[in-house]
Amino acid sequence: MLNRHEVFGRWLDKRIPSANRFELDHKSIFIFPSKFGALFLFLCSGLFLLGTNYQNNLMIMLCYFLVSLFLLNLFITYVNFSKLDLQLGKTHNGFVNDSIQIPIWFNQSEHKKQRPNGDLQIGFYKHANFLTLDLNDFSNPVYLALPCEARGRLELPRVTICSYYPLGLFRCWTHLKFKTSLLVYPAPISTPISLQNSSENPKGHGQREQTMGYDDFDSLTPYKKGEPLNHVAWKQLAKGQGMISKQFSTQQSNTGWLVLQKTSPEFIEKQLSHLCFQVMELSKNEQRFGLNLGTTQILPATGNEHQKACLEALAIYPQSLATIKEV
Amino acid sequence: MTSSINNHSHFVLTLTFLLTSLTLYTSVMAWIIILVICAVTMRLALYFQLHKHAPSIRTLNLLALLSGIVLAYFSLQLGVLLGMLNLLVMASALKLMLLRNNRDYHQLVTTVGFLIGCGFIFQQGIVFSIIYLLLMVALILSLALHYSPSKSLLQTSKDISIMGLQALPIALLLFLVMPKFDPLWQMPAAKSTETGLSEKITPGDIAKLSQSSDLVFRASFTGDIPQPQERYWRAIVLEDFDGASWQISPQRMAINNQYRQYSEEFDASGEGRVFQYEVFAEPTHQNWLYAIDVAIPDGSYSNQRIWQNHDYQLISQAPLVSTFQYKVKSYPSANLNQSLYSLDKRINLQLPPKTGNPKTQAWVDNLRSQHPDDVDFAQKILEYFENQGFSYTLKPPLMQDEPVDQFLFEAKQGFCSHYASAMAYALRLGGIPARLVTGYQGGELRSDYLSIYQYDAHAWVEAWFDETGWQRIDPTAVVAPDRIQYGLQSAVEAENFLYNSPFSLARFNSVTWLNDLRLMLNSVDYAWTKWVLGFDQEQQKDLFKSFIGELTPRKVALFAFGVFALIFTLIALFYLPLWRKPKLDKSTSYYLKAQQILGKLGIYRADSKGPIDFSSQVARATDMSISAPFERLTKLYVIHMYRPDTPIELRKHHAMMAKELSKMKAAVKALGKVEVLEQS
Repeated sequence: MLNRHEVFGRWLDKRIPSANRFELDHKSIFIFPSKFGALFLFLCSGLFLLGTNYQNNLMIMLCYFLVSLFLLNLFITYVNFSKLDLQLGKTHNGFVNDSIQIPIWFNQSEHKKQRPNGDLQIGFYKHANFLTLDLNDFSNPVYLALPCEARGRLELPRVTICSYYPLGLFRCWTHLKFKTSLLVYPAPISTPISLQNSSENPKGHGQREQTMGYDDFDSLTPYKKGEPLNHVAWKQLAKGQGMISKQFSTQQSNTGWLVLQKTSPEFIEKQLSHLCFQVMELSKNEQRFGLNLGTTQILPATGNEHQKACLEALAIYPQSLATIKEV
Repeated sequence: MTSSINNHSHFVLTLTFLLTSLTLYTSVMAWIIILVICAVTMRLALYFQLHKHAPSIRTLNLLALLSGIVLAYFSLQLGVLLGMLNLLVMASALKLMLLRNNRDYHQLVTTVGFLIGCGFIFQQGIVFSIIYLLLMVALILSLALHYSPSKSLLQTSKDISIMGLQALPIALLLFLVMPKFDPLWQMPAAKSTETGLSEKITPGDIAKLSQSSDLVFRASFTGDIPQPQERYWRAIVLEDFDGASWQISPQRMAINNQYRQYSEEFDASGEGRVFQYEVFAEPTHQNWLYAIDVAIPDGSYSNQRIWQNHDYQLISQAPLVSTFQYKVKSYPSANLNQSLYSLDKRINLQLPPKTGNPKTQAWVDNLRSQHPDDVDFAQKILEYFENQGFSYTLKPPLMQDEPVDQFLFEAKQGFCSHYASAMAYALRLGGIPARLVTGYQGGELRSDYLSIYQYDAHAWVEAWFDETGWQRIDPTAVVAPDRIQYGLQSAVEAENFLYNSPFSLARFNSVTWLNDLRLMLNSVDYAWTKWVLGFDQEQQKDLFKSFIGELTPRKVALFAFGVFALIFTLIALFYLPLWRKPKLDKSTSYYLKAQQILGKLGIYRADSKGPIDFSSQVARATDMSISAPFERLTKLYVIHMYRPDTPIELRKHHAMMAKELSKMKAAVKALGKVEVLEQS
């Protein structure tokens, strides 16, 4: 048996399939009188009763005027909302306990008449926090913060957008599903760096190299082409001594492996967090390292791509990277 | 939580509420108005940042409690309707002080909307209707500003005006065709604070009425219009005299109630000359109506709503809370001898319980002994008024003890009710059944309708003579014939006419252009009363008939359907143009058509591919007959997109593109044939 929400979710998937860009139309727009709309109709019926009982044509006329406004608002709200055109920006992965900023670009049509007006409420479907966006005064893109609670793949929830423009009598809304794949990395927990030369003996304490003080300044040498620019001794350059590169002691230290120790399941998450911290630190220092998670092995390398691959492997552990690529 | 600082929406709402309350000043108590002003000041101070903090909820609750107690104290004296209205205004004022979140805001908007509607209970003139419409628009403006705060005020006002103008025709259509119902239940009427006739008069009371130039009713005639001396509009019959004042006889009331219980309505009949007219009565919150004797309601609509009393009065079934119109036929030459004489006689020969006015009694005894004939006797009383130096004045001296004696033998000055009261009393002393009738006499004629104002209020005598039944005797006509022939203004000195309302336009009848202005306003108001306020079920039926002829259910259904179709067409007209997407550039549409043709062959352009790349892809994938024209078309398209053309060039390019497109079409067709051949 499917519960109500699942049935509704499936129906939504059929009605508004996922895409990266949406132009709203009758298929994706829902519209219904708002609470205030109901109150407004109550006012109309009050005026009608009063007008009928007092046989007062002016009151009845006022009532019909308000009813016509109500009818017109159905169309105005809909037309205004259907002018919306939105697109998902470039998303980044995030860490547990952090939140991912989801950028959404709203249309900026050349024609003023083609632009929607009024306040919009945006938020994630079934999430409590909605932010208010004033379509007459905003700058692209609009960021929605998506909290990351657990490590692994994160499906972007449907984005709910609703508008009460122009008089708040009707609520016009939609739930949009954007095509994107997000990963949540483990939360980094600070720990000493421990690199192992796993090719020989991962467990051997004798071979373990303490890399504390890796950023100790060692010496100055003439700059060689290809060395990172942030190692250039700018002070000396400014003094007119030419391009001189700072040498750090850890630059010369051996490359090693970050290894996931075999422990009981409850410690796995903590270890992954530790590894995550080390991956971040090592990459910051542009040090070569490899990652061995047992199921996945990433050969030593440096650079952003390498860091991303390592973090992704940590995120989806115990699955292997190959499964990501399939997605 | 919304703040009022620079919140235009709150600003507009505050002003709308203030103005609405001020228009209700006659019905709302002064301390509540002060409360409103306090709330408005508080909100405006927040808006202009003169003050930073709204009062705390605890303070407001205390204030609400206190106000509630005070209002409850006054509520008995206010009555249900005014009590509710005062409560509503008070609650809105407190809400305005509170105004913290969306919910407060919405509730306040709704109550102010309702207050604007309530304004129509008290004011139904054109000017107030326009004011209330504008207030409603301002309320809507406030809502619009609430939901699109950054849109410019000018743009928002423009949008709101357009919306309002679009809503008006729809509202009008709805008003014309939606069925109109009878009152669903009896609503509380306001206690009459208006000037008007009352059910108990002491001579001198009507003189007060003569200070008011308020409209009482209008009568629109078809056919003959009564002469000035025939314009006696009966309203109330007073048969109980206590020596000083006249009132409705309690016996009469009891009997009328009995008749009502058994639904035995008086059925007057008339013959001879007839006046046919429709009366548009202003709201009085009372039940009695106005008509010329002998009056019979005309048509089923009027008959259903009017009860005929046995004293020839017309009584409305419901109090006149709004403009009420009814049709009447009056037979001026018919005799008023159709009611039960024995009863009328018993009631109308009663004398005040304590004997007073001794001089009058002696005088009547003397006169009656000389003139045993009833008509003769009445004639002699009139002659006494005529010959003894009586004068007609709006400011008679006070006559408190033995008022009739004082009037007849000392003051000899009085208003119509003094004469009528003295004469009716004298007739009763002489053994002739007599009573006082109050109503209006006269009216200002304009084209085919008469307007009757409060200063036309009048009182006269009705005496029973065996030959004719009840006979109208108007002693005022003897003393001041001008009053009957030309109205009050010519009967009293100019400075006395409407001396309490120095700015009334009616005072300046002699200034031509002012009088023209007054008459013009009068006609506009008449049209408004007749066509807007007076639009009732009957007029609605007539309107339907004029459109679709005889009303059969089938026709009515079709008609209703047609009207709703019309409403939706109107809405569609308003909004369809907005739905259309902006028109595509002509070159782009040619290019897209070409792409469609290629789509039929299974060649699609990936979103990432530019037109030139796509063109080379097409060249690789298809026959020359198709790819060559497409290549040329692509070139033209690219040129057009990246280099602005002159209009002449543009036309040439479009023609060339059209040609290439048709070549492509032909080639695809030929290709299709070839494939079919190959398959066979």
